[in-house]
Amino acid sequence: MEQLILKDFGEVVKTVTFRVRRYDPEKDDAPRYEEYRVPVQKGMTVLDGILYIKEHIDHTLSARYSCRMGICGSCGMIINGKERLACQTQILELGKDLIKVDPMGNYEVVKDLVPDLSKLFRNHQNVKPFIIRDEEEPKGEYLQTPGQRERYAMFTDCILCGLCLSACPTSASDELYLGPQALAQGFRYIADNRDLGFEERLNVLDSKHGVWRCHFSGACSEVCPKGVDPALAIQLLRQVMTTNVFVRFKQKGTETGPERKSVSGVS
Amino acid sequence: MRESQIMFLQYMTGLLILVFGSFHFLLISVLSPSPQKVLYIYSGINASHILVGGTLYYTWVKAVYSSLIWGSVFELLLTFLVYHVFNGFRVILSEIIPGGRAEKAITYILFIAGLIVFIWGTRTVVIGLGGGF
Repeated sequence: MEQLILKDFGEVVKTVTFRVRRYDPEKDDAPRYEEYRVPVQKGMTVLDGILYIKEHIDHTLSARYSCRMGICGSCGMIINGKERLACQTQILELGKDLIKVDPMGNYEVVKDLVPDLSKLFRNHQNVKPFIIRDEEEPKGEYLQTPGQRERYAMFTDCILCGLCLSACPTSASDELYLGPQALAQGFRYIADNRDLGFEERLNVLDSKHGVWRCHFSGACSEVCPKGVDPALAIQLLRQVMTTNVFVRFKQKGTETGPERKSVSGVS
Repeated sequence: MRESQIMFLQYMTGLLILVFGSFHFLLISVLSPSPQKVLYIYSGINASHILVGGTLYYTWVKAVYSSLIWGSVFELLLTFLVYHVFNGFRVILSEIIPGGRAEKAITYILFIAGLIVFIWGTRTVVIGLGGGF
């Protein structure tokens, strides 16, 4: 049967056991683990394994996924004890015959491997992740040199997968902590020369559960699938906040370029 | 106060505790006026020893506590310690019990507790300055 199902995809290299945490808050009293035997081919990811289980063994298993190529950030989970994107984790590269899969930590569970990311999005929203300007309507392009963009470029790669918040030990104990993702995005916009929103973000970033609660364990940077370094952003943010104690941090805000009209002639 | 100001003071008091704490331990170990500071006399065959000199000698302790310079060092050390310790507790507890009334209660309770310790410690320093031990 296994051979038949997978024959179009190449030879089955080995069979591994998936130990998946199952929990439906509406039905179950407590989480439990269930094991599934999954035939593995070269190039098969953990997400492929989960989808194999869902299609052929247990239809009730729930997981969130979308792009299958490490872009959307939907399939974050804890695989063999470490936060990873299931679509970017090759089963054979794990080098184990037993693959333990848990939903991300520090979130409520919707069902099985599906976390409730409301906290992540709420924190992200709280740091106002957009360019804040004085004028109501931009009159032209906001000018920026490549060097100015370089100051925050790395932090624009965040895909909001939420793995960093799952790995963060402070988030585990302090449910009001903003978390590495939101703090990194806070820095990303403060460091942007087009932005003028430092004062508006200060109440959130410089709060009791903001930037100062980081213990610098570095787990967030360790697990980020896009190579973003939120721990660095937090330290840079602290540098800005500390400087602001003595000298008020002032954003100049870049000048706008010449007024332009769109190709269609509508400004 | 903003959290950044509070935490800046937290880090600064940490550093100052290191400096003033070093003075304090230097006082105990090295800065004794007596060459006998670590001298013990073994009395009898049971080798029990009696402290005869050094910084822990009663008259020397009294002299140190009566000195305005050392009294100021102790008072500053006390101030830094109280701030650092009680604010540290606040930070730890606000992570364990975040938000709401509990967090506010923790802040007020620790502030009052810190104030009591500070007043009590200052009382000791002042009594020492007056030579009243």
